[in-house]
Amino acid sequence: MSGIFRLLRTTTFRLTALFIIIFVLASISLLAFMAYQSSIQIQKNQSAEIQREVRELVRLQKTRGIRTVANAVQILARRAGPGIYYLGDDEGRMLVGNVSNFPSQVLSQNGIHTFDYSLEQAFPNSGKRRKHRSGYALVSSTQLDGGFRLIVGRDIVERRGYTSIIFRGFLFGVIGIVILSLVTGGLTAMRVLKRIDSISDTSDKIISGNMSLRIPVTKKDDEFDRLATSLNDMLDRIEKLMVGLKDVTDNVAHDLKTPLTRMRNKAEAALRNGVSAKERKAALQTTIDESDQLIRTFNALLMISRVEAGAPSGAFSVFDVSEVAKDIAELYAPVAEDAGIKLKIEAPETINITANRELIGQALVNLIENAIKYAGAGKAKAKQILLSVKEEDEQVTIEVSDNGVGIAKEDRDRVVERFVRLEKSRTEAGSGLGLSLVGAVAKLHKGKLILKDNEPGLRAIIKMPKAS
Amino acid sequence: MKILLIEDDREAASYLVQALDEAGHVSHHASDGETGYAMASGMDYDVLIIDRMLPRRDGISIIESLRAEGDSTPVLILSALGEVDDRVTGLRAGGDDYLTKPYAFSELLARIEVLARRSSPNEGETGFQVADLTLDRLSRKVARDGKDILLQPREFRLLEYLMKHSGQVVTRTMLLENVWDYHFDPQTNVIDVHMSRLRAKIDKGYKTHVLHTIRGAGYMIK
Repeated sequence: MSGIFRLLRTTTFRLTALFIIIFVLASISLLAFMAYQSSIQIQKNQSAEIQREVRELVRLQKTRGIRTVANAVQILARRAGPGIYYLGDDEGRMLVGNVSNFPSQVLSQNGIHTFDYSLEQAFPNSGKRRKHRSGYALVSSTQLDGGFRLIVGRDIVERRGYTSIIFRGFLFGVIGIVILSLVTGGLTAMRVLKRIDSISDTSDKIISGNMSLRIPVTKKDDEFDRLATSLNDMLDRIEKLMVGLKDVTDNVAHDLKTPLTRMRNKAEAALRNGVSAKERKAALQTTIDESDQLIRTFNALLMISRVEAGAPSGAFSVFDVSEVAKDIAELYAPVAEDAGIKLKIEAPETINITANRELIGQALVNLIENAIKYAGAGKAKAKQILLSVKEEDEQVTIEVSDNGVGIAKEDRDRVVERFVRLEKSRTEAGSGLGLSLVGAVAKLHKGKLILKDNEPGLRAIIKMPKAS
Repeated sequence: MKILLIEDDREAASYLVQALDEAGHVSHHASDGETGYAMASGMDYDVLIIDRMLPRRDGISIIESLRAEGDSTPVLILSALGEVDDRVTGLRAGGDDYLTKPYAFSELLARIEVLARRSSPNEGETGFQVADLTLDRLSRKVARDGKDILLQPREFRLLEYLMKHSGQVVTRTMLLENVWDYHFDPQTNVIDVHMSRLRAKIDKGYKTHVLHTIRGAGYMIK
């Protein structure tokens, strides 16, 4: 039973039902219109026929006299068919005819009348006296010269029967169509329901934990297949994100747990007997330094996820990226110089862009700090870093290149991915999340971070639209 | 200095109150937004330290109400939210400075001391003098013992900021924020390198040094 209720509640079925109602209403009005029109037409034809007979009989009286008229009426009245004929005297007594019991109005007033009458009484002398059958008459009543009354008419019950046949045919047709559409609607609804059920069944299984399941796609390539395909694509993306999240959790665990453990060990060691006050103080200082580093890593992780989630555009402003680059180059030039590296800048007067100034600044700082670290470790004789800013058709390119150790080709793509860190960078100072953040910042501004070989060294290029 | 601390974490608050006490300040503590607001508007304080997320009433709304009443006591906002836009919201509401948790106490102390000084008007000064070191903001000239010292524009701004807050500890992040207008935390000793260059220009060859490194905190000119 619940299956049928479910069927009745489907959109397809409801639409079918609505169409059936509209169809039936339309059919009924069409039928009514047709019945009305045909009855008017038949009445028109019949009354024209009646008028003609009346005119003939009136003329007959004028040329041949009332007796000939009476004869003619008698002949006409005996004919089989729907004809009604009556000729009476001025006192309302029937002389000849086949119907006598007219309403008094018909007998007294000239003109066209319609009225109900009883057919049994109507044909007292005919052999067709079978049942009491009701009749409906259309007559023309005329007063002839000499006070005679002539009534000529037709029994139009037959016509009514004709209409009812049409009506009955129509009714059966409508009922047939209604049943047919209910069945078709039901079947269509059932088919739709089956497809929907397969989608929701799969969803239920996915919700209960089977992430690898996918919604079945048929070969029909209909709207359900399109829906299923896009849902499957979404599921693929979600699964990828979930795997990513697991990697992130693992990395966070590694990046935060390792220094925490180190810190704990040092604190424990400082508490042991025989440790001098000076050593304890040093251990405390290390603890503070370690926790600062932890906070830094944590902030970097937080910032990357905030940036990846999309920072609010309210923090976007129009600023001169050339000036930011020059500022940062000026800020870092002494640091580079102390490390024996020449930091050069190539930037035009102004390039105004719409972006998050803090994040662009942070990204540049990360790239330069990286470059200083790796250029310093390189073997090049004249260690140098080049920071350049260029604009080209609504795009801005910020490049930091060094001639240091660089990144191996196979690692270059991986290193930009979130939380992917090269094994050796884990052991070095810094959160090691620098490039991940730069990548996220570039992405936030609808741009990207490209890493290339500088032979030797690394070219880190941020390419993004001037207004994202 | 009289300080009101509005902070719901009791442990953090009692640590702060004690540390401020040791630094020679008188501090009061309120542990929820409503009490804090009542205390801030009822008494005169030199500095308010307000946590952003508080029970009963949040920090931003306290600052907005105080500012609407014409109270211009300097406010330092403490927050676990450190994003650029959070900082902007805080400062727009009327906060004077913004510090992200977790922070070093030395950083907080340096900032509130600078904030309290800010409320006494010295913005209109045309120059500063510390011992025999002078800085003229109009001619942009720096001299020591009557001898001109040639500084780069950025070095001038660095010295100007330090001299404006002479006798006070200025942290590295404060310098980065106020001299370079960046709010990030550099991994390298970028500020120290600039400071050692500045020091070479103003202190080298003189018996008494004016630029001091305060261990674990920052720098001070005196």
